[in-house]
Order: sequence, then structure tokens, then C-alpha cells
Amino acid sequence: MRTIGIDIGSTTTKIAVLENDQLLYTEIVPTGYNVDKAWRELLAATLENLRLRESEIDRLVATGYGRNSVDIADRRITEIMCHAAGIVYSRPGTRSVIDIGGQDSKFIQLDADGNVADFKMNDKCAAGTGRFLEVMARALELNLEDFGRLSLVANRAVKISSMCTVFAESEVISLISRGEERENIIAGIHESIAGRVVSMMGRSGVKAPVAMTGGVARNQGIRKALEEKLKLNITVPETAQVNGAVGAAVLARKI
Amino acid sequence: MQTFAYFDSGHEFPEEIVMAAGFTPYKILGDVEAGTGAADEYLHTYFCPFARGALNQALAADDDWAGIGFAHGCDATNRHYDVWRRHLGQPFFWVNTPMKTNPTARVFHRRGLDDFRADLEKAYGVAITPEKLAAAIRQSNRIKEKMRRLAALRATRDITNPEYFEMVRTAVQEPRDRVLEYLGELEREWPARPAFPRALVPVLLTGSDVTFPGWMEVMEEAGLRVVRDDLSLGERYFHAAIPETVEPLKALVEYYALQPQPATRVPSDRRLDYLKTALWESGLNAVVSQNLKFCEPYAIDAPWIVNELKKQGIRIIHLEREYTPTLDHQALTRLETFRQLLE
Ligand code: SF4
Repeated sequence: MRTIGIDIGSTTTKIAVLENDQLLYTEIVPTGYNVDKAWRELLAATLENLRLRESEIDRLVATGYGRNSVDIADRRITEIMCHAAGIVYSRPGTRSVIDIGGQDSKFIQLDADGNVADFKMNDKCAAGTGRFLEVMARALELNLEDFGRLSLVANRAVKISSMCTVFAESEVISLISRGEERENIIAGIHESIAGRVVSMMGRSGVKAPVAMTGGVARNQGIRKALEEKLKLNITVPETAQVNGAVGAAVLARKI
Repeated sequence: MQTFAYFDSGHEFPEEIVMAAGFTPYKILGDVEAGTGAADEYLHTYFCPFARGALNQALAADDDWAGIGFAHGCDATNRHYDVWRRHLGQPFFWVNTPMKTNPTARVFHRRGLDDFRADLEKAYGVAITPEKLAAAIRQSNRIKEKMRRLAALRATRDITNPEYFEMVRTAVQEPRDRVLEYLGELEREWPARPAFPRALVPVLLTGSDVTFPGWMEVMEEAGLRVVRDDLSLGERYFHAAIPETVEPLKALVEYYALQPQPATRVPSDRRLDYLKTALWESGLNAVVSQNLKFCEPYAIDAPWIVNELKKQGIRIIHLEREYTPTLDHQALTRLETFRQLLE
């Protein structure tokens, strides 16, 4: 059976193609302002790259905030269910998933059979999400990769008191003008995001093994800060950024 | 018949006294489409947006309302009294309703109702006789009885969440004779509806009052059908009948003690008991708990209520919602996930 999962996030649109149990293909493109165009072009390019026709796809599941725009989907499933299915596929046995995407962060608790036992999402606020990191990286004139990496060489984490994206940006700018080292500021930003994510998770519900998915999983600094706060190791699957799409393709096999 | 508007964060306002005075009681629900712009000149934007929406509507009402009554409620309601009084021209009344339901509270409540009756009589030159009060109580009870029967159909027939909302909204805002006619129409129509749709999951809804249909639509879109609730704009309004065999104001005091309790009253145990009973009676095991942003009473109750229900094996989701007419995508995702977990 050949299935496709499309995950339309606020920042990027992801696709995953699964043939039986084998992950054939994944791709990520920016979502842009036209959600419809983003997934249609991504699907067309994917089929072309794989030399497949649409009729050769058995099922397609859409997820992410733009899921309802995928009119050809056999089913639309929320990103929480898809992220859970994705991690069960790539890291079976995982009990806790932290997913930080462009505009929201989620914590998913899995039971021993890989079913979603409970979940939490951040409030409607960019604090602690990929968008927040983007704004902070811009304020420090860094790209996101360097932003994550630099914090690992910090000698201390500067306290960032505001978690509001707008106020935190001006706080960071004033820290720069006070001569604080960039890496220490970044370490402080990561710490405050990790603190916010951990308080959303509620420590009692966190069970090992813990995995991290979503675009922000590539940021090693955040991962390290989360590991320190949780006192647990966090694994990041290679498919972290496309995990929702992979999960959608996995669930497509079951409908 | 002239309209007498009231602002009540629960269901404590004695509508029957207003009816006996010859007015149509009108519960102020604000207008989410109109927003809170005018009210925001007098109130900070970090106060409950529903309450700001209510003031917004009051500022636009001019002479449409013969008077405005406040029932002692949450802190937002109580302190709004002064703000409204200063900025609106209509006659203002305050009804002291108690926080508790013990014997002392009942004496206090009775005095509050006596005062309110006397205040209305004086302000409008009317006589609110026991006969008029008894007639108003009988009319209220007929409305509540019909609503109870109609609400029970939610579990077996295809009655949408917005339709249920509209039934309750009509009951608290329209002239009561017209309400009875309208409910009569629903009594003919709803039982003939198709059976409860298999694709939807039945839930109990609790938390801040849902004062506009948008939230009910989000739940509908997520595949969750509200078949029980404990809202003031819901079961709290029609759960109990007002005793008809005792002196009318005493009956209103008794009635208040029988109502399911909102989070604005202490202790919360009665509120939890009602939820547990409602779940048990209807065989439900799923609850959507929500609080409007900045609504403190329900936010304070939520962790305890959620944990107590979880201990009973109930599946429950709690979320904070916005005061907005537009579709809340994040809430929709959470509710859809909740439904998918229940399936
Ligand atoms: S929504 Fe909450 S804070 Fe606002 S009036 Fe109602 S009880 Fe009070």
C-alpha cells in the first residue's frame, strides 16, 4: 500500500510518502501565504520525483493547521494524532513527545501501546515557539542554525524576563547594547523557552523515553535546555521536522 | 411591554420580580460581533471580555431599556456596577444574592429580594403583588419545564449545539409569551428530528458561560455534540422548578438553593456534584471544560474540577477560549484531537 501524509504548518508544508512500511520520500517547502498552492505544488513535485500518478496513491491524509484545505484528502487528522503516529513509527516505545513548531508547542503523552493518552498545547501566544526563536535570531542577526549552535558555547545563561515576543525582542536589544555576549543571551532565551515548555508539560506527566519533533527540534540549544530541566535524555529522530507528515502517512494505512 | 435589562454572571437575577413589575427581563449577553470598543474607554482590556461586551451593548442601548439590574456575581460583575452607573443613564438596581445557601444566607437573600421589589415599586410606581409574582413564577416554570424536555432531546435527536444555544438565548431575552410560543414550536419539531448522528461524540460542556454561538459552532465542527451542561445559559437556567406552593419570594429563595451552582459561588463541591450526577445520569464519560480568557472564577475552579473528574475515569479537556466571532483554529484542533481520542 502506498500512502501520503501532508502536514501544513504555519511556516512549512511537509510531505511523506510511505510504501508499506518503508518511508520512500519526504520534502519540506515554505507554506507562504497561499496554503492551497503550497500543498498542491508540493504534491505535484513529489509525484513527479517519484514518477507516480495520483491514481497510484492508495490513500492521503492531511494534517496541520491547513489540513482542511486539502480537498483530495481521504481523511483530515489533527497534528497531535499524527505526531504520535509518526514517533511510534520512527521511535517505537517513546512515551513523551515534545513538538515545537512555528506557532505552537505541544506535549503528547503516549501509553505503552503508542496510543495518545493525553496532550497539551501552548496558549495562543508565540512565546516558546519557532516564531519566537525566529524573531530572537533576527534581533541577534543570526540564522536559526547558528542561533541554536552558538548557545552550546555559552558560559552562562542571561536571564530573559519577558516571554512576550515583542518585549523579549526589545529586552534582547538592550542586552546587546549593554555588551552581553550573544551566546549567553541565546542560552538565556533557550532556558526561558524550555522553562515555559516544561511548565506546560507539567513534570508529573513526563515519562521516558522522550522524543522531540517539529522544526525547533533541530535547535540543539533548546534540546539541551529541555534535557537539563527535565533531567531526561531527549532523542530527535532524523524525521523530526516531517514527523507529522510521516504520522499522517502511517495513519492513512489504517483508514 | 418594556424591556428591563440585567447583568448576571450566573443565574441569580430574580427575573420573576421584574416580570411581576410588568417588564420583560432581558439578560445582557453583549454582541461579540460588535466587540468591546466603546466599553474599552472605561475598562481595561485585561478584564473579562464578555463583561466588556455587555457594557458595550449597554452603552448602545440608550432608552431601549427601562432599567438595568445587577445580581451579585463574579468580581467583574460586582465592580462593573459602579462603572455602569457612572456612564449610563438608566435607573440602576442592585440585587444582593448570597455566596452560600445555608440558613443565614437564605435570610440575607430574602432581604435582598424584598429590597429589590420595594426599589422597583418605588422607581416605577407599580405594585408587585403576591398574585403577580405567583403568575410570573408559573410562567417561568412553564418555560423551564419545556426547556428541560427539549434539552433532554439533545441526547437522542439531531439537535445542533447552536440550536440549543439559540433556545436558551431566546428564553432569557425575548418577551416570555413569545418564548412559550417558540418553545411550543420546538416541541413539535425537535422530537421528529433524525436520531443522534453516529459521527458525533456526545459530551458535557462546563465552564464560563457561552454567550455567543461561535463557540458552539467550533464544538460542532470538531464533531462534539453537547448533550449535557451546567451553564447559566443552559441547564442552570431550567434545571429546577420554582416552588409554587409557598409564598413567592420565599419560593425564589428556595429555587436559588436548588440551582446547579456556578463557579462564582462557594464552596465548589455543589458544582462538582452536579457535574458528576449529570454524567452518571446520562452515561457520558467525556467533558469539555473551558474558560473565557480573563474569566477568573472558572479558571480558579478548573484544575480541581478537572482532576476530580479524571479520578472518576472521565475523559476531560480544558481550554481557554477567546471572545471572538471568528473560528478559533487552535481550539478546533484541540477539540478535534479530543474527539479522535474518544473514538
Ligand atoms: S465570563 Fe467569568 S469573569 Fe466574565 S462575567 Fe462571567 S463569570 Fe465573570
